[in-house]
Amino acid sequence: MTKEIILKGRKVVKGKAAGYAVVSTEPISFNGGVDPATGIMTEEEHPIKDVNIAGKVLVFPTGKGSTGGSNRIYDMADRKTAPVAFIQANAEPITTIGAIMADIPVVDKLDQDPFAVIETGDYVEVDADNGIVKVIKKE
Amino acid sequence: MQLTNYENRMLNGEMGEPIRKAMEILVALGESYDAKRMVEVRNVHLAGASIVVTGEAGVKFAESMQCQGGCFCTRTTSNPTALDCAKWRELGIAEKDAELQGRLTNALAKLGAQIISTCTPYFVGNAPRLGEHVAWGESSAVIYANSVLGARTNREGGPSGLAAALCGRVPECGFHLKENRYGKLLINVTIPLSGVTDYGCLGYFAGMLSSQDTPVFTGIPDTATPDELKGLSAALGSSGAVTMFHAVGVTPEAPDLETAFGGKKPETVVEFGEKEKKMMLDKLDREESSDVDWVMLGCPHASMFEIADISRALEGKKINPDVTLWVGTSIQVKTIADRMGYTDIIEKAGGKVVCDTCPVLAPTRDLAQKMGYKVLTTNSAKMAHYSPGQFGLMTHYGNIDKIIDAAVTGKWKR
Repeated sequence: MTKEIILKGRKVVKGKAAGYAVVSTEPISFNGGVDPATGIMTEEEHPIKDVNIAGKVLVFPTGKGSTGGSNRIYDMADRKTAPVAFIQANAEPITTIGAIMADIPVVDKLDQDPFAVIETGDYVEVDADNGIVKVIKKE
Repeated sequence: MQLTNYENRMLNGEMGEPIRKAMEILVALGESYDAKRMVEVRNVHLAGASIVVTGEAGVKFAESMQCQGGCFCTRTTSNPTALDCAKWRELGIAEKDAELQGRLTNALAKLGAQIISTCTPYFVGNAPRLGEHVAWGESSAVIYANSVLGARTNREGGPSGLAAALCGRVPECGFHLKENRYGKLLINVTIPLSGVTDYGCLGYFAGMLSSQDTPVFTGIPDTATPDELKGLSAALGSSGAVTMFHAVGVTPEAPDLETAFGGKKPETVVEFGEKEKKMMLDKLDREESSDVDWVMLGCPHASMFEIADISRALEGKKINPDVTLWVGTSIQVKTIADRMGYTDIIEKAGGKVVCDTCPVLAPTRDLAQKMGYKVLTTNSAKMAHYSPGQFGLMTHYGNIDKIIDAAVTGKWKR
């Protein structure tokens, strides 16, 4: 039987989206850390280097680095290489501004540790408007 | 959010579509941070002035704001572009990139930005005062403005900076509020620091530990130069999401330890000594071979004092013919360097003074391939951080003497 887990958090950017999760335990710089043409992570020594985040529900602690990240996220959405939703420990302005521009729903501050509950490959439905994250564990 | 009548009129579209769209972005941002109201800003430094960052989507966004009659109401300056306006062909920039960059620069200029094209606006006439609310982008400049100048800004990305310049407002949250400007972790520097490379190591170390929190340093001497504090800011903004730092006895909001922490105890206390510095050097100086083919100084953009130092170090020397050396700076500082004869000395040695851009904001992966560069040699922790992932080039990292020696001999000596 598939296992479902419901998490409750805070809406950061409105909207609903679903997809397979990619979990990064380290913060992400969208400018300089990701190839916008493909959505593949490029930062050296990063735990998800070489992973493609296009079309995924991206679970990561927070943004970091370049303030060019907001524009990068907007550009990636235009190229269809952006993630479809962000789940974060603590949202940070650069990724939030990019998500507002690109209509990417964002939730943070969940009632359970997302890095303990969600694994890469789980199917995740994000309802940011109600601050609800539904995790369908992979078989 | 509680908006004033005037702000509501902006949001309702009474002042045109660009201002309506801009206010919508600012309100969404404010609501996501539980801001109670907007705060007025009269000074914006725009990130997202390079097409490498904006892509075509960002160019179209700026153009549509401008075509619909958008007009900045703040004193606005712009970050570097993807190319040097004068010598982009010589540097290896493609025609199509130059064309798209021209569209973005034109749109920003027509909207009302001063196209200063530098990441160091504070060196060339845009230096906000202590306590002034501003909306700045460019991670290194945000940290410098908050920490060294004592101005108040969050990390503004391109679109929110543009929105702030149109509306003269940003949400009153984060680093605009005094209570959010205190330190969280204490970093005691126990070794003498000298030159931007040492400060880069310290910043890189502190950024990794801090994430979004504000570090407080003891042990930074009050003789630290603006160039060293610029290097510290740039490194902090690369490995972390830091918005400001305090250096006790050096920066304006940290006359003493207690003030820097707002009377609270630090959550974490760590030491930065020889061991920590060595760890960071190992992370930033990662190229295993001794090959040197592309040397980059001036990240963030070199001040006139740094250019003077570089020209002194290069005087009477010849850069190895297989090495390309860039000194990145603003057009304003280059004008002074021209007058002082520094540009001439650097060019006679075989180097290039490059304006308006930097490798992080230029189409550098393509450029490196075209020019055959394999390794980046730099004194900037920010450049050394972004180079492997963004340009596909491993790095040598060291102080100016080592860099100049490497440029002349064509070999990196450990």
